[in-house]
Amino acid sequence: MSWNQHLTAGSRQGLPPSGYPAVELQQVTRFYGSKNTGVAALDNVSLSCPAGTWTAIMGPSGSGKSTLLHCAAGLDQVTRGRVLLAGRDITTAPDGVLTEMRRRTIGFVFQSFNLISSLTAEQNVAFPSKLAGVRVSKSEVRQVLAGVGLADRASHRPRELSGGQQQRVAIARAMISRPAVLFADEPTGALDSNSAKMVLELLRNMVRTVGQSIVMVTHDPAVAAGADTVVFLADGRIVDRVDMPTIRDVAERLTRLES
Amino acid sequence: MFQMSFSTFRERWELFVGAILSVAVGVALVQASMLVLVATGDPRVPPGLSRQAEDKVREGFVGAATVMGMTAFLAVFLAVFIVSSTFSFTVAQRRRDLALLRLTGGSRGQLRALLLSESLLLGLVGSALGVPFGVIAKYAQTWLLVEIGLLPDGFTAPWRLWAVIVAGVAGVGVALAGVFTASLRAAKIRPLEALRETGEAARAMTASRWLFGLSFAACTIAMVVWAQGANLIGAMMAALGISVFGAVAMSLLSPLVVPFMAWLFGILVPGSTLVDLAQANLRDGVRRSAATASPLIVLVSLLLGLAGTFGSLAAAGGEEAKRSVNAHLVVTSTGEEAERLPGIEGVAVASRQNTVDIAITVEKTQNKRVITRNFYTGIIAVDAADYARTHTLPPSAGSLDALTGNTVFTGPARHADRIDPGRVLAADVGGQPLELTVVGGLPETLETGDSFLVPRQALPRQVWAGAPTETVVQVAPGQDPDDVAERIEQAGFGQVRTVSGWAITRAENAQDGNVEILTVLMGLAGLYALMAVVNSVVIAGTERRREFAVSRVTGLTRPQVVRTAVVEATAVAVIGLVLGCVVAGAGLLGIGGAVHKAIGATVVAVPWTLIMVVAIGSVGIVAVTSGITASIVTKERPVSLVTTKE
Repeated sequence: MSWNQHLTAGSRQGLPPSGYPAVELQQVTRFYGSKNTGVAALDNVSLSCPAGTWTAIMGPSGSGKSTLLHCAAGLDQVTRGRVLLAGRDITTAPDGVLTEMRRRTIGFVFQSFNLISSLTAEQNVAFPSKLAGVRVSKSEVRQVLAGVGLADRASHRPRELSGGQQQRVAIARAMISRPAVLFADEPTGALDSNSAKMVLELLRNMVRTVGQSIVMVTHDPAVAAGADTVVFLADGRIVDRVDMPTIRDVAERLTRLES
Repeated sequence: MFQMSFSTFRERWELFVGAILSVAVGVALVQASMLVLVATGDPRVPPGLSRQAEDKVREGFVGAATVMGMTAFLAVFLAVFIVSSTFSFTVAQRRRDLALLRLTGGSRGQLRALLLSESLLLGLVGSALGVPFGVIAKYAQTWLLVEIGLLPDGFTAPWRLWAVIVAGVAGVGVALAGVFTASLRAAKIRPLEALRETGEAARAMTASRWLFGLSFAACTIAMVVWAQGANLIGAMMAALGISVFGAVAMSLLSPLVVPFMAWLFGILVPGSTLVDLAQANLRDGVRRSAATASPLIVLVSLLLGLAGTFGSLAAAGGEEAKRSVNAHLVVTSTGEEAERLPGIEGVAVASRQNTVDIAITVEKTQNKRVITRNFYTGIIAVDAADYARTHTLPPSAGSLDALTGNTVFTGPARHADRIDPGRVLAADVGGQPLELTVVGGLPETLETGDSFLVPRQALPRQVWAGAPTETVVQVAPGQDPDDVAERIEQAGFGQVRTVSGWAITRAENAQDGNVEILTVLMGLAGLYALMAVVNSVVIAGTERRREFAVSRVTGLTRPQVVRTAVVEATAVAVIGLVLGCVVAGAGLLGIGGAVHKAIGATVVAVPWTLIMVVAIGSVGIVAVTSGITASIVTKERPVSLVTTKE
């Protein structure tokens, strides 16, 4: 069974009730530091990412991209505004609810792959399900790994894998629970171009074939161009937005923002 | 979850081996001290000894029991302290791993459960290892006690299952308790911390650290103040308490001192890039520096604090002995020979004090039961008038004038037994029964002192004639004590000393005994604390693999990285030493006050030699350990560590 078959075979547990956006930010402000000397990393940001679409967030360094992602995923608390994830208001959700959502509703892929160094690839993939008390069969884990092209690397530890392979393990780990939203923070940032290409292809396939919702932060126009929508941030505010972007669209806007 | 613990164990075994060892050695020490302590409570006197020798053996057992009681207490304290600091340090070192666990969906409860079950497992393994270690520790302690003469040859402490169980349960309990607060803290780790490259530096001074640190510091200061007005037993207990509480306070508050010491270090050591880096690392790794310094603080404060206390008491005892004697010379001989001393030219008063071999029986009613105790040692035959003229210690009850005929005076050693004047004590004088009426008593002194003073006239000549005798000689006005001493020597007396020389010898003898007792007390415990020091240096070093690799790709050579680590570790060792010395100093302040109250003069013995040995030894060990650790962890090519982020 291929990656796509695996995903379509079972029901998507974390899917939002139909009609709800995958992620919705309503007038979100995130303030760091004290009142006088602090900075607003996000300043009154409203954003809606429809379910089954791929949204890329771009902007110069310090524009608030990662903060937006962290707030949207419930990793960081907003100072003002509301955050809805798969139709559920998580703005003031207690830790238990957020933990539960990390297990079932959200998947993460980061630039630094954040695999648990002491576990093998398949143990890493199965780990979140085990935490959630869900039994996953070895064959299921192997299938997911095969889906990301790592069938022969199941018993390797992260340090025995290349960067691209580690990132694919991270994607497999994020996807095994079939989450409603996959958050990706510079997923190709630490990869060579070939590995980056392979990872992007994986993500694109996931959106196209099973309607996976993805919210991704990147600074690479080529990567962003793969998304359905690109949102541009500057100084904590959304300043532009392109649907169905081309690499050139994205690059031009980014250059303008950075200049 | 356990799968993760198990694979973490394979991956970072230094963290867990350190924790297991700290439990194992703690359990071993507690178990051994308990077994020996219980065995000393049941004195078995070897057959064929004289009554005095038997009495001595019994006294030795009492002394050994006291020492072992203190050892057991220290062992428990060290085990609790070292295990909890090792465990919480290992948790702090795994902060990023734990945040990652949260990021992948681990709940707070799961994190706590993971850490607690891990420590349960480590506690069980440590306790299981501790039992055989304990057997070795028991032999070592018994050997030491026999070697210093507190216990007779052939003494053995039998194996008792309950002690093993108690120590084992304590080991597991200490491991769980040790990790408990750390697990609460760890459960508060936010998943976001896993995403930060270096991990959010945990605040070194947490609220509970402040609370406990300040409380322990306040208790320490209170004990120092209290000791100023305490009696000597109280002051000794306070000194032990000051060492223990002060050490805990200093370890908890040490993160406050680290930045200051780093600053001072920068001023004292001429600036070089490496020193600057080491200084910055010190400041940045406050938690790590504090965790490394902790066991050293405990080791130094206990070792120096106890040595200083014992030394000060011995010196004060000598000083008191000198002050309580109003004479010039002390002559040692037999009773018979001493009779010639008053006749020697220049001798004004010769107070002969024969240590006689008689028995005095004291009956005591305790809980409506009559307890009979026979005394064979410390019974001194005196001429009350001569004694009174040469000794200044005023009786606490009665008068020495009344010490004539069949009477007895209680000495400093029996002060605490409260044998009131008017009571009649049965004595056995060479097989002849004698009844002695108590007519007074001397107060307690720093040294244990004599048990009973008996008028010489009340005893047959043969009882005192051959007895070992010390004669305190007052020289006649206008006579040079040196000349008189020479005359006494010429008269055939072998050992003639000045009073101060005699007092110094007494203090030295007492100090020799102290050193031996300190060896029993701190020998194994000190090794335990030293092991914890090495342990924390190794853990701190191995966890810095990536940091070292980054330094190397920044341009440092491997030897430079190792040197920086050594400089940093040395600075941490100095911090530990200084803080330990502060605690030991507080202990001395306490004992100094108590001594002042007891004898009217402040006598404090600072164990300079020991300070030097401890300073050089601990700095050396820390420097060597960190050097070895740093060179082992920098073996790998730095680029492989810097590029792989996991």
